[in-house]
Amino acid sequence: MKIQELNTKEEMTWCPGCPNNGILSAVKQAIVDLVDKGSIELKDVVDVTGIGCHAKIYDYLNVNGFYSIHGRVIPTAWGIKLANPQLTVIGFGGDGDTYAEGIGHFVHACRYNANVTMIVHNNQVFALTTGQATPTTEKGFKGKSTPLGVGEKPLNPIALALINNATFVARGFALDVKHLTNLIEQAIEHKGFGFIDVLQPCLIYHDHKTVSYFKQHTYKLEENNHDANSYEDALKKSLEWDYCIDGKTKIPIGVFYKIERPTYEEQWKLKKPLHIVERKVDWKKIISEFKLNE
Amino acid sequence: MEKLILIGGEAGQGTSRTSTLLGKILSGMGYYVFNYRDYPSLIRGGHNFNVLKISDKPVYSHENSYDVIVALDQKTIDKHERGLNKGGFVLASKELKSKRLVGVDIKSMLKKLGVPPIFGNNILLGALFKTLGLPLPDLLKSLKEEFPKKADAIEKAVKEGHSAVKEKMKLSKPKQGKKYFLTGNEAVSAGAISAGLDIYLGYPMTPATPVLHFLASKQLKHNITVVQPENEIAVVNASLGANYAGAMSMVGTSGGGFALMVEALSLQGMSEVPLVVYLASRPAPSTGVPTYTGQGDLKFAVNAGHGEFPRVVVAPGDAKESFYRTMEALYLAYKYRVLSIILADKHLGESNYTFDSFDAPSVKPERSIIKPSANYKSYAITNTGVSPRAVPGEGPFVLASSYEHDDYGHTIEGPEWTVKMNDKRLKKKKYLGQEVSKLQPISVYGNGKNLIVSWGSTKGAIIDALNELKDFRFMQISYIVPFPAAKVKKEIEKSKDVVLVENNATGLLGQIITEQTGHFIDKKLLKYDARPFTCRDVVDGIKRVVK
Repeated sequence: MKIQELNTKEEMTWCPGCPNNGILSAVKQAIVDLVDKGSIELKDVVDVTGIGCHAKIYDYLNVNGFYSIHGRVIPTAWGIKLANPQLTVIGFGGDGDTYAEGIGHFVHACRYNANVTMIVHNNQVFALTTGQATPTTEKGFKGKSTPLGVGEKPLNPIALALINNATFVARGFALDVKHLTNLIEQAIEHKGFGFIDVLQPCLIYHDHKTVSYFKQHTYKLEENNHDANSYEDALKKSLEWDYCIDGKTKIPIGVFYKIERPTYEEQWKLKKPLHIVERKVDWKKIISEFKLNE
Repeated sequence: MEKLILIGGEAGQGTSRTSTLLGKILSGMGYYVFNYRDYPSLIRGGHNFNVLKISDKPVYSHENSYDVIVALDQKTIDKHERGLNKGGFVLASKELKSKRLVGVDIKSMLKKLGVPPIFGNNILLGALFKTLGLPLPDLLKSLKEEFPKKADAIEKAVKEGHSAVKEKMKLSKPKQGKKYFLTGNEAVSAGAISAGLDIYLGYPMTPATPVLHFLASKQLKHNITVVQPENEIAVVNASLGANYAGAMSMVGTSGGGFALMVEALSLQGMSEVPLVVYLASRPAPSTGVPTYTGQGDLKFAVNAGHGEFPRVVVAPGDAKESFYRTMEALYLAYKYRVLSIILADKHLGESNYTFDSFDAPSVKPERSIIKPSANYKSYAITNTGVSPRAVPGEGPFVLASSYEHDDYGHTIEGPEWTVKMNDKRLKKKKYLGQEVSKLQPISVYGNGKNLIVSWGSTKGAIIDALNELKDFRFMQISYIVPFPAAKVKKEIEKSKDVVLVENNATGLLGQIITEQTGHFIDKKLLKYDARPFTCRDVVDGIKRVVK
């Protein structure tokens, strides 16, 4: 298929040069590659977004879509999968969206292992609300709600996913589109919860030389003999960087961990898309369960 | 003929199980039985009791006075003995203390039979049947069906109890006829399955939990999926996701869980993805009196969610109505792409009712899904405001959005589409109202010149009270949204005295009636002690209010 088929006519309202464009390009290319390969059908692709800059992708990607609410991407995506296991469900969330408002869902999604993909646009800041700290903002960050500086260390979503038994855990960089495309393809093809934390530096509200820091200090796990089947290695690698912007610590990107485990929806008896299930319900029979001496 | 039996004991002694079983057995024999459950929020100890009203005519409520108290512990006697009617007695183990005790030597019998203490309940059932002059074979037959594996031991225990006491009264024989015996929660569950339910989602919360349990136990039988996600927020958003993708799902909760769902109710309003919520109330604010009953959430159900959007709030009054109203709630939600709330409470949800028959429902299971054409628009503007509903995976893309959008579903912020889409959504109110007017939104019982106005679980006590309140009619309002204003207005205007009866502190339905009809009902019978109305409460209360 042509990548242009995924374009919409909607006006682009991300800031000029926003790395979100890198994520959009990578997602489009991944869909094209997987459709061409025959591993997914375009008609089955559903995107689910939360609220924040990331969510604008709903308007820019010409597929089925559910523009959900802040923090609730994961349960919405999970519900879609419960109703129709044949759909290819790709969730998009922000770091505030997924790790603050929706952290409870995130932890459980790792456990449930529903066959959905979750791509987090992690710009380490609330951008659309004009610059407040999120759970992955570095210690010391001064924003409008934290003029004295953030006192806490950030949450580590990679390590969090691992200790909650996620089956596919990866980190991408929005400005390395080719690498990210490959990660997204792997996550979509993964049978289970495919989670990618994508470093997506905000040029307006988190301009702490993050672009140059990430460009210079990221390195690829797959080029450094990382064993993605080893839980211990994955956990060790996940702790190498603590999401602080110190200008020197190396940041691993790529697939930290990947294993197979039965998916959530596999345990249910209903395997077909529910809307084509013709139920022959007989109210008389159902209510007669309460009829005595029948 | 009408008899009242209280069965009480500590939590864990089998009070509720025994009472429900007794109710079922008596209904099976042809009696009408209403079974009220009263229990505190604890697992062992405390004081649980049930009150069964048994009659040869239909009954829908209980009383605080009793003909027999079956006491499994001394506390039951101490708390309830003064509620005994003239000629009433306490049936209990012989070491318990009561002036009106009919004692049974349960300890010796258990020892003789070599069975655990829980068999004491069977001994007491046998004794109860004898004292009431009821036929023993009916009891033995029912118990055998209920517990086929323990039938022999149970039969021996029942017979011990039966032979230990004398007949104290003789219940008249009921007319034969097969009866239905069920709780409001069971009826909601059966209604949901009958409406074509695919998925039920719930997080445990009294008094909605029995629906979660019941449907979970029927998953394989009815090929439905029952899920308990991490919290009510996940419950409701997953339900919206599932319904967007073509499932017919329902969620259930009580006040606190419903509060957590509110943001998603508003998402329903904007996205127009169908959503059905079963809200079984309990006394609030907050944790309130968690295992008891109240009608304090009416306006919460009507108003929950930011912004303006259409919805359905339907409040059944008994278990039979719960069955039909649940079917209607699902039907309307999917047909009109709206939020349907089925509003009940603990009294309705957990009490057992007896009915002679169930008529055919007025709605049929309907997914209301179309095959989309190539130029399908998820939010097409139509005459009724209802955009035909398609699901993803069929070819044309299907969109759902929390953001204001154009007819395709893409984000807009301009004034023109904002107005168009508001108009489209709100237009559905008119057609919903027309459809609901055909679903008997109000019911009027009796012929008196005065009028009792109420909603929900008070129905049973009020209907029973009409036997004594000959000057009164009773208008039960089942649809709160869309509100049947013209019908309600007409009934009020043709009545002499009008009394509002509600199980809350401020008369919430009365406020809605004033808003919708301009009528202010100043005579109110309100009860907010976390306990339901008994028939006597209604009779005495109405006489007090209307002098």
